[in-house]
Amino acid sequence: MSQDPPDRAVPLLEMRKVNAHYGAVHALRDVNLSIYAGELVCLLGGNASGKSTTLKTLLGMLTPTSGEVVLDGEVVNGRPTSYLVARGVTMVPENRRLFKRLTVRENLQLGAYLRKDSDAVASDLERVFELFPRVKERLGQKAGTLSGGEQQMVAIGRALMSQPRVLLMDEPSMGLAPTLVQQNFELISQIHEAGMTVFMVEQNANMALGIADRGWVLQTGRVVLDDTAEALLANPALRTSYLGGGKDDSDSS
Amino acid sequence: MKRKLLTLVAALFALSLFAAACGGDGDDAETTTAPAATEAPAATEAPAATETPEDEMMDHLGDGSLGVVSVESGGAVQIRSLNAITGDVAFFGLPLERAVMLAIEDYGPVHGFDVDLGTGLDDLCSNDGGQAAAQIIVADEDVLGVIGTSCSGAAVAAAPLITNAGMVLISGGNTSPALTSDLAGTPGDNYNVGYYRTAHNDLFQGAAMAKFVFGELGLTTAAAIHDGDPYTQGLAQAFADAFEAEGGTMTGFSAVNKEDTDMVPVLTEIAAGGPEALFFPIFQPAGDFIADQAPGVSGLENTVLLAADGLLNTNYLALSQTAGMYFSGPDTRFGENVNQSTGKTAQDFLAVYEERWGESPAAPFWAHGYDATTLLLDAIAAASYVDADGNLQVDRQGIRDHLNSVEGYSGLIGTINCDDFGDCGAARITVVQNIGGEDNAEASMDNVVFSFAP
Amino acid sequence: MRARLLRPRTRVDWFLTVIRVAVLIVLAVGFAAFIAQEINPDNPFAQWANPDATGLTGAQFRGLVVSGIAQGSMYGLIALGYSMVYGVLGFINFAHGEVFMVGAMTGMITSNKLADAGLWESNFIGSLVFIVVVSIIVSSLTAVIMERVAYRPLRGSPRLIPLITSIGVSFFLQNASVVLLGPASKSYPDVPDWLKAKHTFLQIEGAKILVVVVAALSMAALWYYVDRTKTGKAMRAVAEDAEIAALMGIDVNRTIVKVFAVGGAMAGMAGILWGILFRSVIHTTGFLPGIKAFSAAVVGGIGHLGGAMAGGLSIGVAESVGPLLILEPLGVSGVSQLRDAVAFSMLIIVLLVKPAGLFGERLPAEDRT
Repeated sequence: MSQDPPDRAVPLLEMRKVNAHYGAVHALRDVNLSIYAGELVCLLGGNASGKSTTLKTLLGMLTPTSGEVVLDGEVVNGRPTSYLVARGVTMVPENRRLFKRLTVRENLQLGAYLRKDSDAVASDLERVFELFPRVKERLGQKAGTLSGGEQQMVAIGRALMSQPRVLLMDEPSMGLAPTLVQQNFELISQIHEAGMTVFMVEQNANMALGIADRGWVLQTGRVVLDDTAEALLANPALRTSYLGGGKDDSDSS
Repeated sequence: MKRKLLTLVAALFALSLFAAACGGDGDDAETTTAPAATEAPAATEAPAATETPEDEMMDHLGDGSLGVVSVESGGAVQIRSLNAITGDVAFFGLPLERAVMLAIEDYGPVHGFDVDLGTGLDDLCSNDGGQAAAQIIVADEDVLGVIGTSCSGAAVAAAPLITNAGMVLISGGNTSPALTSDLAGTPGDNYNVGYYRTAHNDLFQGAAMAKFVFGELGLTTAAAIHDGDPYTQGLAQAFADAFEAEGGTMTGFSAVNKEDTDMVPVLTEIAAGGPEALFFPIFQPAGDFIADQAPGVSGLENTVLLAADGLLNTNYLALSQTAGMYFSGPDTRFGENVNQSTGKTAQDFLAVYEERWGESPAAPFWAHGYDATTLLLDAIAAASYVDADGNLQVDRQGIRDHLNSVEGYSGLIGTINCDDFGDCGAARITVVQNIGGEDNAEASMDNVVFSFAP
Repeated sequence: MRARLLRPRTRVDWFLTVIRVAVLIVLAVGFAAFIAQEINPDNPFAQWANPDATGLTGAQFRGLVVSGIAQGSMYGLIALGYSMVYGVLGFINFAHGEVFMVGAMTGMITSNKLADAGLWESNFIGSLVFIVVVSIIVSSLTAVIMERVAYRPLRGSPRLIPLITSIGVSFFLQNASVVLLGPASKSYPDVPDWLKAKHTFLQIEGAKILVVVVAALSMAALWYYVDRTKTGKAMRAVAEDAEIAALMGIDVNRTIVKVFAVGGAMAGMAGILWGILFRSVIHTTGFLPGIKAFSAAVVGGIGHLGGAMAGGLSIGVAESVGPLLILEPLGVSGVSQLRDAVAFSMLIIVLLVKPAGLFGERLPAEDRT
């Protein structure tokens, strides 16, 4: 978690003209994204706009049909998820998806599953406790017994335990009460301020752009807007493009 | 959803097991009642048989009431062997099947016609096995008679099918009283006209064991365990009845499942009565477990263990837990008995057997199978003639007429007389004691401590 | 829970309640009659249903319970495999009983070879350890190959398909045993006298003590493995959410292979214990213990390891004690033939009273998103 200013020369994680298909569905069309170290960026879009597909492609769960996914200068198309996780790409899944029958401690330990450096794991654990003191109180409890907000902390903590260089967040506001959504976005900016590079996929444009540096808007698999957060918030096209995708509930993403 | 499916699967599973368990009993009940009556009319017509003089007919038995089988010149007389030749009881059925083969060889052709045994069939020592094999046999209308089955349980299903097809079934191994009669004029539940056996009726064996336990060992309380098979159940019951008739007391009478391994519960049930002797005329492997576990059950530490011919084999005698046990079985001291049809003695038979199969028979009923076969071939000879075209005409009813009238026939097992219900055995029972030790298993088979003949 | 109370009771509910009450009455009356017999076989209640009732001595009753516990520990060990595979893959591997049979057969072959070499008698403990190791390796391999060949290609298909496949695998293994080793039952060599003798003030046979102790140790080792090690955590993570487990960097396929291997090892261990206790195996040895172990896994709450062991012990004790304790005082005849019926009744009764099993936990519906 370095405090260096973003290095604008080489993106940390990048998609270059990526096309991806789900069977016959052309889910991503020539998508270009670049995420630089230290940034908090967000990808906006309605249902079925291709947000989840983008995440799956970045994590190696889906191999692009053309184009390249580049991690720190290395093309990683077709690499398995464990390869990417080991090299610092981690996701906090939608709805948190904790292992509810396992204890909080075990959830956090699983986050560091691929790591062999047990001393560093221990110190990272301490760092998670510093960020989220309430997690420490709940260590021995089954994750399923925690409140929604606490679960969100554990989910982020679990992701941080893999020592990520970039943290992908899938719909952090999904399925949460409004107060929790607020709290959640505070957590995200908190870890970003601690130096973490965050790539957030979100439907709630106001909330997301409120904390993000830059953003993209995705519509039916195509990037239609690419700008700084302030500019996007001020852009009337955001509303229209957004609603266009948001109305389409028939297709699940 | 996951759990509901699982619950459903589990419940169905358990229910089907219940159904299987209950169904088994049901089958037995059906087969016990059905067959006895069906064949009666044929029997009533029998007496008229010998008196139909027709020109072309040579001197032979039978009135044609069950049909005539014609064997073309150059063809072979068809008989079959139906014995337990695979599985746990193969040691018992294989010598029987081999005895049939040797008897056919020794007997030679019938009126110049070769005898064909076909492929040896397997009764699997079970009701189902007997039924399946019998269906194969009756599909071939040229078959005249069958030597089998090894196990009484298989005969219960096979006998009605085979006898209804006009064939005869002669067993060298069945001993259940239900297949013939109670020896007092009442047919057994599973008696079929056309069924005969050279093996003893277990009423003799039960009586022999009861006399031995009460008279020789001087024990007054006993218990018995069977496994639901007609052979084991009949013999256990025969023992119980005879033991009480002698003046003893039965303190328990119970049953196990053939596939049980943990016998402690049933032995505890038996131990509650505190018997001095425990008779379990069952098969392997259940018999292994009972002998092994009985001394460990409180109340059975000093109980004398007794078993019958189903367990009387070298395999079982070699087990360490069976040392000192007593076994009833047919008297195998055949001495100089000669089979009158082939002129062979038991020694002649054993010499050929050992030479051909490299071992001596593992179980005692081979001689019964041999005599059963020569009786059948004699009967076929008596019921057939060669017609003008050189074909052999065999009268099915004539075969039965001949067997019904067998008296004073000299076989390997002794003098054979057939009663009205197919019991043709020599009825000589011995009790042997296991000397103990793997090397003494052969010797133990001949270690006779008691013999009985009614 | 609240929702269940508020739901109007249907006819099915009433029917189930009647069955539950009837079962409880039968159990209570049978047990009471047994107690009456134990107090005095001649008292009227003891003779009410079964005039021939005699009651059991303390030693006999103890013998029944011990035998049930020994048998039940083996069911429990086998049940662990059913439970673990169900946990990660959500289907019932009916061929698991055959893995147990393979273990018992391997032990039979190995121990007879050792006996021929004279080692079985001269160094029994060493030989025992050796056959346990060989048997665990062979049965684990069997389970792993089974997964690789029969189940992995079916991953992602409806659960009924691997279930039916597993029945096929079960037949395959049984028949393979017949082809390779013949259809007759085969014996283990004789065990030393201290295993046959009775020990301690409770007068328990050595072999049964050995079975229970080894089963307990195996269970403890498995618990440690699953609860404390990294691989164990990975197994539990895959069982709960394979997709997220993969996101943690866990190799899901390898973890599933390990689950099969560990389940197979437990079954192999049970096979050896079976051989030591009963000293006879046949190709169908795995069938009844297999389905009883499956029942044990369901009784204990499938997917729950402690539950599998508890389920095994309760089915073992129930089938051992039940016929004489409940059925005989009620005047049922041929009670010893009903032991299997008692074992499966136990399954039905538990499903009626607590459908998730004794230790099964039902997570709130929202957790299944």
